[in-house]
Amino acid sequence: MSASFRFPPSFHRSVIAILVTVALFALAPLVAGDFALHVLTIGFYYVILASSWNLLAGYTGQFSLAHHAFAAVGAYTSGLLGYHLGAPAWIGIPAGVVLAALFGLVLGRLVLRMRAIYLAIATWAFAETVHIYLTADYQFTRGELGLSVKPLYSTIGPLPYYFTFLALAAVVLIGLRALIDSPLGYFMRAIKDNELRAKSLGIDTTRVKIAVFSISSAVAGLAGAFYGHFIGLLSPQMIDFSEMAKIVIMVVIGGFGTFLGPVIGAAPVQIVMTYLQKYGEWNLAVFALIVIVLMRFSMEGLASLFAPVWRRLWARDHG
Amino acid sequence: MSSGQVWALETQGLRKRFGGLLATNDVSLTVAPGEIRGLIGPNGAGKTTLVNLVTGVHAPDAGDVRLAGKSLQGLGMHQIARLGLVRSFQVTRLFGNMTVRENLLTSFLARRSLHSGDGLALTDSMIELTKLGRLADTQAKKLSGGQRALLQMACGFMVPGTCYVLDEPFSGINPVIKDSIIDMIVDVNRRHGATFLIVSHEMSIVRRLCPQVTVMMEGRVAAQGSLDEVARLPEVIAGYLGKALE
Repeated sequence: MSASFRFPPSFHRSVIAILVTVALFALAPLVAGDFALHVLTIGFYYVILASSWNLLAGYTGQFSLAHHAFAAVGAYTSGLLGYHLGAPAWIGIPAGVVLAALFGLVLGRLVLRMRAIYLAIATWAFAETVHIYLTADYQFTRGELGLSVKPLYSTIGPLPYYFTFLALAAVVLIGLRALIDSPLGYFMRAIKDNELRAKSLGIDTTRVKIAVFSISSAVAGLAGAFYGHFIGLLSPQMIDFSEMAKIVIMVVIGGFGTFLGPVIGAAPVQIVMTYLQKYGEWNLAVFALIVIVLMRFSMEGLASLFAPVWRRLWARDHG
Repeated sequence: MSSGQVWALETQGLRKRFGGLLATNDVSLTVAPGEIRGLIGPNGAGKTTLVNLVTGVHAPDAGDVRLAGKSLQGLGMHQIARLGLVRSFQVTRLFGNMTVRENLLTSFLARRSLHSGDGLALTDSMIELTKLGRLADTQAKKLSGGQRALLQMACGFMVPGTCYVLDEPFSGINPVIKDSIIDMIVDVNRRHGATFLIVSHEMSIVRRLCPQVTVMMEGRVAAQGSLDEVARLPEVIAGYLGKALE
């Protein structure tokens, strides 16, 4: 990074807020039972997925519908390396991240000049292709039979996974915040706002868009790879469209294009969905309706409720 | 001037056709380093097309653009911008969802490789210079037309360019802001020796800023000289000015 850049004060405030929140969640095992911890662990997984998708769609304006597929690329890479070659997680997970990043790089390049709905359709087609491959090549991927993945820890309890995903979410969120407050973050928002002007200022919009696509895919791959070693059994259902829909719902309810949005949207939506599961697909329909209403009236979702509190909290900085 | 002269900006035989319309036809012009050149002519004469050809928005069907002697052929808009060419748009383009401060900082960051200063400090001093302090944390889309024009211009001066191509920077804004923009242009021209090509219909400002003007009509360069010289030409009066300038 160039010497002529330093982070704005807002970056340090965000890091403090993330660390305080993590500290509070670290105390949760004192009061929460095993099932609640399990649900929260999955909630953290979705915080990572939703935040990294928001980087791509909310900040840069590339409304990809392949994010769940990149999580699956990460999960299956590590799972298959372990299953066929006996590779340990510390090799499998980085390999999953790298492969997801590479797939993201290629897909990002292909959809570069597509806008809105065309990009959505093309990325969705990519996700379906991965879905079909994982189902069809069952001799290699175990298809619908499911691929068993070695767990990260030898204990049965949820506690080590809870802390693993909490730490992972914290690291990812601080990383994403740093990215958003870096020159690349300004360029992302500039591109979403007015690509022609961004170019006229000297921003290499092609490179920025591909880089963001790749980074966001890598983060999804990271989350997916850890998820595989947590859940223990992978199936192509991971690339069911409802998974992608869930990510979109979380971001829109939390606040599309806001940093806080996916963080406060993911866990509650995941928790409510877990408890509503007995109603089957209606579950998703209800959330879809909420999304439509929110997109019509307020793209800033729940985050807009927190914005005034956040500003008041730091107001004394401005005297 | 000798034939070995390196022009700050030079176009050679630029031609661009949109369907049945020949928007620019064989446009050749040269602007010397440090010059402030006016570009005038009736609506539809091809001025904005010329600006778009120079800045890489459109690729010409024929001809070439040279910036400080270097051909811009095959370069993308962002590459041209990084060579030091700065443009403003006739319809003000800003990052509407970003604040005034963020717009200025983004303009700096985009070309920070050309500048060793501190972006945040430069942003603060530009806010002070443009008297936009009260609006520093307001989204650009909430500004008035004049404020937007001023901000767009200020963004162009965050990292001084070598050559500015400004498309009607004074249209539809009040006299005070007009004066601020003129002051900025003169300042960057004097201190950094920057070259300007300014499209404008404001004859009093053109006369004040530009020793030489180029007149475009129907896609061609129709005349060149001081404003008072070209304003006396019958075809310029008939095709553009309507009557002789006072």
